[in-house]
Amino acid sequence: MSRHAKPTFLVFGFLGSFLLIDLVLPIANLFFDADWASWINALKQPEARQALKISIESSAISMAAMVLLGVPLGYLLARANLPLKRMWISLVFLPMVVPDLAAGILLLKTFGPYGIIGQPLDARNISLTNNLAGIVLAQLFVAAPFVIVSALAGFSSVDPKLELAAATLGDSQWHIFRRVALPLAWPGIAAGLTLAWIRAMGEFGSTLIVAYNPHSLPVYMWVKFESDGLNGALPAAFCLVVLAACAVGASMMLSRLTGFADVVTPFGKAATGETLT
Amino acid sequence: MLRNYMDLRDAREKGEPGMALLTWPIKKIRIVGLTLLPFLLPVFALGQSPDRNVSVLYAGSLATVMENGIGPAFAKATGYTYQGEAQGSLGAAQLMRNRLRTPDVFVSADPLVNTNLLMGPQNGNLVKWFVVVASSQLVIAYNPRSRFAAKLDEAAANKTPWYDVLAIPSLRFGRGDPTVDPKGYRTLLMFRLAARHYHREDIPKLLGEPLNPVQVFPEVVLLARVESGQFDAGIFYKHEILARHLPYISLPPEVNLGDPRFSDLYAQESYATSSGQQITGAPILFTVTIPESARHRDAALAFVRFLLTSGDLFRQFGFGEVEHRAGGDTTQIPTQLQSLTSGVFKL
Repeated sequence: MSRHAKPTFLVFGFLGSFLLIDLVLPIANLFFDADWASWINALKQPEARQALKISIESSAISMAAMVLLGVPLGYLLARANLPLKRMWISLVFLPMVVPDLAAGILLLKTFGPYGIIGQPLDARNISLTNNLAGIVLAQLFVAAPFVIVSALAGFSSVDPKLELAAATLGDSQWHIFRRVALPLAWPGIAAGLTLAWIRAMGEFGSTLIVAYNPHSLPVYMWVKFESDGLNGALPAAFCLVVLAACAVGASMMLSRLTGFADVVTPFGKAATGETLT
Repeated sequence: MLRNYMDLRDAREKGEPGMALLTWPIKKIRIVGLTLLPFLLPVFALGQSPDRNVSVLYAGSLATVMENGIGPAFAKATGYTYQGEAQGSLGAAQLMRNRLRTPDVFVSADPLVNTNLLMGPQNGNLVKWFVVVASSQLVIAYNPRSRFAAKLDEAAANKTPWYDVLAIPSLRFGRGDPTVDPKGYRTLLMFRLAARHYHREDIPKLLGEPLNPVQVFPEVVLLARVESGQFDAGIFYKHEILARHLPYISLPPEVNLGDPRFSDLYAQESYATSSGQQITGAPILFTVTIPESARHRDAALAFVRFLLTSGDLFRQFGFGEVEHRAGGDTTQIPTQLQSLTSGVFKL
């Protein structure tokens, strides 16, 4: 390390601390202000439990959908010779810049009872809004891009020579994906999944429009805030922060257990040969 | 004299005169610059002078009349700048109670919001008085492209009873959430008044449970659903619907909660909220007040004055004109406003 490293870190730390005031202080403040007894009491209410249950169920379904549908899509975008590949990749990014409220209206116009997809289903008595399906659709819209992009980056960072070697040894495309590409790209994908889960749990704006009922935890928080004020909303906010912290903790534990001690970024971490052994 | 980077570096290395300031290494300049940046950022944010500004927190349904009517007209007439914020009436009051907002003026969609959440020692005497500004009425708005539009048109023309059209099983209609929105509980009361008026006990059954998840939505969401055609119809205030140019079915004054002359009739119905609060039927009235926490009292006074003399604007936007009755502790009303009020408001 050069002799300039230390002052550089000092300056960077100084600069970073300004951002931390914005990032950490409000959440720390939530805990300083905590009124534990009444919060725990508030979270024991049947409506609060129901909202928590809805949020966990819907985000679990979203996660399953993101793994089953998003990871293959990421592989396809990274490896297949698709026509207009760049266009497809940018299309996947687009939902990330659509504001939540607009996303809700767009989803509603598509999956609502008179929407392009919603109407034919509605004729068969299947509804995609104002139920668990609606919550999942909203969560997928905002969270799935994290998984697809992290899978795309993860698979792209795998050395093609390894896959080529497997191919020359006679492995099928599925085997190459399953035995070579996926294990190497997994740390990045796992980080993307963690982020996506947190994003899905906290999704509020578009859920409010697509599925006000049954209340997910963020919607329940809003309803409590509107009806009971700050003291009504804080327990739910606290619950969401704790859930997110658990997710990050679990993800770190998992990466440690699987031999990736470093905290991986959503945009992937170049895997080393050691995972092959 | 134009010099590029290389010239500057040469000049510095040669110790040319006039380059004294630049003898500092560029690296250091960059680091110092970056370090100072966070201190400079707030300076840009504080550019505006807040003294001539009035901040108004108002009931969400007033967004169009405030932002397109009153706000700009007030700024033009008085030279103050207007800064409005729309929130649900109940939510807005909660924001103020929790000191998350300190507006100069608060306009609510129900006198009860003042008396229950902001007035009295239990609420920190945040509000001491209020004045009634305007009235509104409930209507049934519908999407003109709905597959039931023809039926709804008939009801609007009084050829078919509206409650028979709403009873069509596959027709979707929505209403406000009684837990978060005065319009939500007013809709419940309106349907019971309709049962009384038309002698049809089955009318309130169209709503199901008070919190029926199929029908109940927050204000903005419901409007978005009807406008985007995902709902056929919804119960709204008349002024909201005029602003959105949607067709609507008018209701008789005995039912629509819009006519203070029927106060006694409205008061025969009541609804208990989930938090156990008893709400008695009353005409839909919007009130204005200057909270005790207001920061710019002169601007606030000018704004309330303007509001109480803008009857024409309110009428244009679909509101009903009412007497400016004063509620709460009327001795606390600023003297400049006393002459604009008439009579005492009784709950």
